[in-house]
Amino acid sequence: MKIEQKIVVSITFNLGLILLIGLFSLQDLNLVLTKLRFTAIADELNASFLEMRLSEKNYFLYQDAAALEEIHGNLERTMSSIDSASADIASAIGNQNLKTLKVYVNGYATVVEEVRASRLRGSDAQDRLRREGRQLKDFSEYVTRAERDRVQGIISSSKRFFFFSFGAVFLLALGVSHFISQKILRSLRAIETVAKAISAGNFDTVAGELPHDEMGTVLQAVNSMSEELKNREEALIQSKKLASIGILTAGVAHELTNPLNNISMIAQNYAEYYDQLSREQRIDLMSQVDGQAHRIEEIVRNLLDFSKPKEANLEVSDINETIRTALRLIRNTLEISNIEPKLALAEGLPPTLIDQHQIEQVFLNLVVNAVQAMGPGGTLTIATGFDAVDDQVRVEVTDTGRGIAPEHLPHIFDPFFSTKGVEGTGLGLSVSYGIIRNHQGSIKVRSAIGVGTTFVIELPRYHEPPRAEKAGG
Amino acid sequence: MEQHRVMIIDDERIVGDMAKMSLEQDGYLVETFLNGEAALTRLGQERFDVVVTDLKMKGIDGMQVLKAVKTLHPGTPVIMITAFANLDTAIAALRGEVHDFFPKPVKIKELKASIGRALEKRA
Repeated sequence: MKIEQKIVVSITFNLGLILLIGLFSLQDLNLVLTKLRFTAIADELNASFLEMRLSEKNYFLYQDAAALEEIHGNLERTMSSIDSASADIASAIGNQNLKTLKVYVNGYATVVEEVRASRLRGSDAQDRLRREGRQLKDFSEYVTRAERDRVQGIISSSKRFFFFSFGAVFLLALGVSHFISQKILRSLRAIETVAKAISAGNFDTVAGELPHDEMGTVLQAVNSMSEELKNREEALIQSKKLASIGILTAGVAHELTNPLNNISMIAQNYAEYYDQLSREQRIDLMSQVDGQAHRIEEIVRNLLDFSKPKEANLEVSDINETIRTALRLIRNTLEISNIEPKLALAEGLPPTLIDQHQIEQVFLNLVVNAVQAMGPGGTLTIATGFDAVDDQVRVEVTDTGRGIAPEHLPHIFDPFFSTKGVEGTGLGLSVSYGIIRNHQGSIKVRSAIGVGTTFVIELPRYHEPPRAEKAGG
Repeated sequence: MEQHRVMIIDDERIVGDMAKMSLEQDGYLVETFLNGEAALTRLGQERFDVVVTDLKMKGIDGMQVLKAVKTLHPGTPVIMITAFANLDTAIAALRGEVHDFFPKPVKIKELKASIGRALEKRA
């Protein structure tokens, strides 16, 4: 359900509850009004009964014949007012009580009629009249009192009902708004995480099933924005590459000029002094030519690697083996620079799914950088380990070189950024960065001037896919 | 015959080696350096008849070498080698500060001819 619908539903529900409470209260109020109307009638009746009793007393004490007529008149009025208000009375005290009242009134009327007709004055008639009169008055007073008590009861229970039901409505509203705001906050936090990742250049998306509400729509928008940014970034890198072909051409021309010049100068001397040269000298010159040719080949290959990222050829591999292979390739350079690499390779590392050649290339780039940063005699340390929390295999390449200036750190992975002047193409780290990224890994750097630099590579651990049951037959 | 001293500075080892090989055949005394720092130290100790230097080097570059030579040994001609001819070298050459300049790839015979002319002019 959408948040808007949830809010509308919860508000409607609460309003409904309040309305229901109002209806109940209105009913209570009507009941109280009915009862009050009855007590007004009852008071009137009680007054009439009292008057009748007084007339009764006058009749017996003072032999006042007119007193009987008064009782008779009073009774007539009382009966007619009971009849006219019978609906109200019945709804207040119930039909049974109304019937009982009528029975008492009729009983009293019968006795009064008998006394009036026969002009009786004996103690027998007096007793009957008094008994009937008292019964009528007592019953009437009892009913009135009971109804007053019930009115009190209704009012106080109505008060309690109000208190509890409004409490319940309040708590319900509080609970629902808390639930909805928690839901919104959770989604906002997910967005915050992604936004932070995006601003750090990591185009992540919100994982897991998205809620089917407005936040879900927002999260989906954030996800598609992230995807779009990722695509744009790739397009941007590609166009950056194209735009820098001009710069690259100049750079490559410059790079190639030196080995070409070397070959040319060797060739000139070789031709000029051919007769004076010993066999060994000739071989030495030609092997130098070969070395320079390799240098050119290297430049061209780097250039191709940069301009045409190849499809990765992924194999399940032990990263320690890849490091050892890379070191074998660069052994000469290390020996010339008098650098003995220190290896701290963790035993029993989980496997990774990598393109051997590409990852070797990354290590070669890092080691060459380290050697160039240190000069002869520095310490190069390569350590591996497994981060169980992130499920990542980690490689740290540390040198004791001159370090990277803090203002250069953010740019070292940019294409064509180089602090090495003529020695670097500014492509090594950029290519490495691309390779590690294609492996769903990360490459980070920390450096301190005069202390050294550490590159940290993290690659996801390879998980054997669950073996599918072979279908029969 | 008096031997002329030639200093060659280039961070490409082969440039120095090949120039030295050829120049020594012609009877020059040649010293090669792979960077400006070592060359300037040597220039403080010894006067050279001609200095041949690469322009673009890490640390002390060709232009700084040129300035140092003009200060230490004002009469000594400087020949510039560049992997990439640029405006600065051309301007310096036109001002007469640089005796000559050669873009790579260098023709050794032309370089030697230029050194010969520089020595004549100086003499």
